Amino acid sequence: MEYSFAFSAIGTDWTVETAAALVPAVRTEILELVADYDAVYSRFRPDSGVARLAAAGGRLDLPDHGAALGRLYSTLYELSDGAVSPLVGDVLADQGYDAAYSLTPKSPTAPARPWDRDSLRWEGNVLTAPRPITVDVGAAGKGQLVDLVASVLDRFGVQYYLVDASGDMRHRGRRPLTVALEHPYDPTRAIGLVPLSEGALCASASNRRAWADGLHHVVDARTGCCVQTVVATWVLAPDAMTADALATALFLMEPEHLASTFDFGYVQVFSDGHARFSTALDGALFPP
Amino acid sequence: MNQRQVPPLRTCCTVSVPHQVMTALAAASLLGSAGCAGPGGVAGSNSPDKTAASSSDPVTASAPDSGVTVKKYADGEYTQVGGYVSPGGNEEIGITLTVKDDVVTAVSTEPMPSNPTAKLYQERFSGGIQDQIVGVRLDDLAVEKVAGSSLTSGGFAQAAEKIKSEARK
Repeated sequence: MEYSFAFSAIGTDWTVETAAALVPAVRTEILELVADYDAVYSRFRPDSGVARLAAAGGRLDLPDHGAALGRLYSTLYELSDGAVSPLVGDVLADQGYDAAYSLTPKSPTAPARPWDRDSLRWEGNVLTAPRPITVDVGAAGKGQLVDLVASVLDRFGVQYYLVDASGDMRHRGRRPLTVALEHPYDPTRAIGLVPLSEGALCASASNRRAWADGLHHVVDARTGCCVQTVVATWVLAPDAMTADALATALFLMEPEHLASTFDFGYVQVFSDGHARFSTALDGALFPP
Repeated sequence: MNQRQVPPLRTCCTVSVPHQVMTALAAASLLGSAGCAGPGGVAGSNSPDKTAASSSDPVTASAPDSGVTVKKYADGEYTQVGGYVSPGGNEEIGITLTVKDDVVTAVSTEPMPSNPTAKLYQERFSGGIQDQIVGVRLDDLAVEKVAGSSLTSGGFAQAAEKIKSEARK
């Protein structure tokens, strides 16, 4: 696509590629959307909605799309026996992935608080926390924002587009987009190619934002430990929120436990170099 | 793709800290090139605390087609055994890189699963399993986008530099 609109949002670089130039109104709306999203969910700014919840607890009214995010987290929390949880925020912060980016673990790893009525109520688009609690939507938030940007483009009648949030992407095109799957240990190489026609492809890798020895941002809420056996995942799904969340979930649980609930394709790469993939991605990896 | 077995010239020290696993793989990446991962044994010892001594001098004879440029890295196989802590306990992994004319021509890893979880992951299930991922240089591919997460950790880059300097002649 010939036209590219680039911006930074929620801590990463974004590009929106389209066949025709975006009118200023579309660009403005996208920038307002991502700024609003950041103002609610960013753990890294003291004035955000989730920062207020972390400081004092209480009630936080999310935008309308917060309800879908809550439903997805709730489903995954159940399917993963609590491994995928919006309450890993305190674990991440304790390990140094905090608002100050101290990158220094503060305490031994501890499990996240169980997600129940006493810790966090997520009803529709309203969050209620009896006590201060850190909510982290990192597993699915970026994907949801990709979808929300795409829906702005849909609303303005933009026919073909690619929304790319540094590797998490949603595409609607005349023909499939060829996407390389980045080698987990070598950004100059790819381990396979995926044709992305319509829908989303999201990646997650344990080396992203790696910090300290063996600590990284995919945390099992049940143990507080980081996940080391899976090193990279990719998920194809109709929407980016689902693809993003499942890419994280596949670090923590078996794909077959997700298969009855979600429609998706996946690749998992393990620390010993072997890979698992679903039939939808059969042939995507380069053969040995 | 160079499939020739290069005799082990040097065995890097074996270690048991997490970043060393990453380091060995990073060396594969930063030395560059299409890795042709094939089956291959780990030349070094699996014992985490044992340091293997350097063996012979590096082979310096150039390959017939290598031209006149000076090589930065000694040809040979480099092996490391690394350990890491997974949620299921300690695991080890052996990694062997073959360097030829400043290019990594082969990468092989040997899992040494010591706990049931790691073994479980090796069981087959519907879909498919590939024993080894294979990297192809992005420069050699016609792609429009890349999905992944480029390495950003400064510590990782530093560790990789150390391995590069070890292989440097």
